Amino acid sequence: MTAPGTEVVRARGISKSFGGAVALRDVSLDLIPGEVHALMGMNGAGKSTLVRILSGAQNADDGVLEIGGTAAGPMTARKARKLGIATVPQRRELVMTLTVAENIMLGDLPTRTSLVRWNLIGKLARQALRDLGIDVDVNALAGDLTVAEQTMVEVAREVRRGGRVLILDEPTACLGAEAAAQIHALVRRLCESGVAVVFISHHISEVLALADRITVLRDGRVVWSGLAKETDETDLVRSMVGRDVVSTRPSRKSDKSVTGLKIESLADGRFIENLTVEVRKGEVVAVLGPAGDAQSRLFDLLSGRRRPERGHLEVAGKRIPFGKVARSLDSGLRCVTGDRRRLGLIPELTVDENLMLARDRLDRRRLHRRDRLARRAAPLRDDYRVVTLSPNPPVGLLSGGNQQKVLLAKWLGTEPVACLLEDPTNGVDIAAMADIHTLVDALATNGVAVLLASSDADEVMRLADRVVVVRDGRAIAEYDIDRITRDELVAVALGGAIS
Amino acid sequence: MTTTLTAPVATRRRVLPRGFAHGGLLLVLVAIVVFAGLRTDSFLSTNNLLNVLRQVSVVAVIAAGLTLLMTAGGMDFSMGGNVAVTTAVAAQMFAHGQSIWLTIVAAILLATVIGLVNGVVVTFTGVAPFVATLATATLLDGVALLVINGLSVSIDDQLSPLGIGKTFGLPHLLIVAIVVLAVIAFVMRYTTFGRDAFAIGGNEDVARLSGINVSRDKLLLYGLAGALSGLAGIMLLARLGASSPGTGGLQLQLTAVAAVVIGGTSLAGGKGTVLGTVLGVLLLGVVANVLNLLQINSYYQQISVGAVLLIAAIANLLQRRRH
Ligand SMILES: Nc1ncnc2c1ncn2[C@@H]1O[C@H](COP(=O)(O)OP(=O)(O)OP(=O)(O)O)[C@@H](O)[C@H]1O
Ligand SMILES: [Mg+2]
Repeated sequence: MTAPGTEVVRARGISKSFGGAVALRDVSLDLIPGEVHALMGMNGAGKSTLVRILSGAQNADDGVLEIGGTAAGPMTARKARKLGIATVPQRRELVMTLTVAENIMLGDLPTRTSLVRWNLIGKLARQALRDLGIDVDVNALAGDLTVAEQTMVEVAREVRRGGRVLILDEPTACLGAEAAAQIHALVRRLCESGVAVVFISHHISEVLALADRITVLRDGRVVWSGLAKETDETDLVRSMVGRDVVSTRPSRKSDKSVTGLKIESLADGRFIENLTVEVRKGEVVAVLGPAGDAQSRLFDLLSGRRRPERGHLEVAGKRIPFGKVARSLDSGLRCVTGDRRRLGLIPELTVDENLMLARDRLDRRRLHRRDRLARRAAPLRDDYRVVTLSPNPPVGLLSGGNQQKVLLAKWLGTEPVACLLEDPTNGVDIAAMADIHTLVDALATNGVAVLLASSDADEVMRLADRVVVVRDGRAIAEYDIDRITRDELVAVALGGAIS
Repeated sequence: MTTTLTAPVATRRRVLPRGFAHGGLLLVLVAIVVFAGLRTDSFLSTNNLLNVLRQVSVVAVIAAGLTLLMTAGGMDFSMGGNVAVTTAVAAQMFAHGQSIWLTIVAAILLATVIGLVNGVVVTFTGVAPFVATLATATLLDGVALLVINGLSVSIDDQLSPLGIGKTFGLPHLLIVAIVVLAVIAFVMRYTTFGRDAFAIGGNEDVARLSGINVSRDKLLLYGLAGALSGLAGIMLLARLGASSPGTGGLQLQLTAVAAVVIGGTSLAGGKGTVLGTVLGVLLLGVVANVLNLLQINSYYQQISVGAVLLIAAIANLLQRRRH
């Protein structure tokens, strides 16, 4: 019924508030078949709220939604799905205790006389993954996958179910270049077949390369909407943030002779083979690899969650035994996870409570008063620019980027000697990213040994003094950052020639 | 702009009284009290009310410990069994002429050890708390019967100061319960140990990584649940004046669990308040008392209790969802 070029979804005057706080006001959005429509905006701008309304997960307070030319009325998740709107939400929604295959086929399990056909499930799920070029074992439990793999599985699930609108809320936030490229290719393919794609991302270059149309939200309002080719990076930043954002590498001249963190001959199954990295105080060293590679295993090993097969760990010259969280913390090592929902924050607890969770325990504080807690947490909130709509909500209600800032503040506010940062700007907006980069710079300037586990070459170029490139669990190259260009680094990381 | 946004939220928070989160439950409780006051002459008499409070004191002490434990994501199904063993052992000690204080100390110590054993099993073997403590519950019920040899063991009036004594018109049992509830409420709100419980219940991995000694905290929590079971056992013995087959046990346990859950403590951990538990305990106590006063047939009593449980749970949930 919808001719090419006409909107498959028309949203007009959408408003939504939570309690007294306005998340969206009078937002309009058109989705056109065959187009990638990017939503951009700072953390808390209302992007996820808008797509949650489109997908029926939440109801708007006001406004109309037309789908396929007819007014849709109040939406429910079921109805949205029936109308052909598929969504991959920002917060991953796999059932962690089920296998990949079951997750992909969930709600659509093939049966014969009401008995589940297990081998068909496996076959269909494998097919769905293969169609997207995804290499994940369909019999693995979803909970055992890395975040990147979980994202791919979820995308595969939604694509398999089909539909005329596919909403991807920050699908590439925790993916490396390679996996992100797979998602991009997939989006383009779907567009060619006439699907309207909504794509949310904080990466401006990615959006400019992929999107046909861009809508920028700020404080719940549309501040700009138009064709991607009519805008550029500077304009986008200005409409998102309201000012220019500059984030440049500072030159660090501190004396980098004292070793702060030393990992020696680390080995853990097929994930890490014989990794040796030395980080001096005041230095930022990156371990860069495809999402889910060796660098993603460092958090478990250094934080004491898991004992590796072999290896030594030293913090400021002192041997730290593996597998003991308390010893790791006592040494002044702080490990900041890239998986804030599972290993970083406690969603039901308030922002202040989460901010002080580690610090109060390290201070061996026994008593605890709420007003004092707010006072202790206030400087952290300021330094890390945590924005909340109500005074002290549960951290789970914050926008993704603000949760990330809470997570960083929680750990970096505890006077670290050395720290491991895993994808520290995962899901944060460009202004916050610049803030976080400045904070990491400040850490290094203050003599902290910073180990950066990342799958993002740009971030590595911006932050690191040195980079170790890993692939398939092995270190394949090491460079001083001023000896290599970004493109060379990407080429090496993607498995190109090693010069 | 942010300030204008936050203003209405902030003022609304301050206007609301503390117990508002349990508005639904409070409503059901008030409705039942009003109903009982209208339908019976005796319900609102001081004597009857004090009697209700005296009766719920034992459940209140168990429920207090359970609230803290469940908030931390734990569960102890054996507290009722623990009470049974404690009353049985204490009664036998009295019967064998041991002194009051020695008996009380020994009983509470024994109960604490039982709690710690639960804690060790749950913490270090990874058996689900529900399963482990259900097993100990059954085991303890058997042990209790063994200790009193299946017969009723009377303690005469050795504990009557606790059982029927009053100070300023308040039954001593009630005073003990209030102190326990107050201490647990304080711990949950103002101590790091209490806040740890919320963190562990919310996400154990995050709690451990944040430097919380999760194993130690869990042991302490199960130990505390045991100790409070011991205290509840002594209180029950004081109230009844004897330990008989079926004293304590699963019935008591289920009442306590029901009270805690009605009070809004999450079975999954991470959420819980002593105030909710107090309301839950009162609700169950009042319903039982009213049904008795109305001389309703015991089958109908059980049906009514179940119905009230369901209504309270739903009221609580609806009210919270609106919030
Ligand atoms: N259920 C909720 N209750 C209260 N406030 C909420 C709720 N959901 C979202 N908010 C608030 O609404 C605002 C918009 O949130 P939203 O998640 O849409 O932001 P976003 O643009 O997706 O940000 P991000 O880039 O960080 O994901 C935020 O300030 C958030 O705290
Ligand atoms: Mg979002």
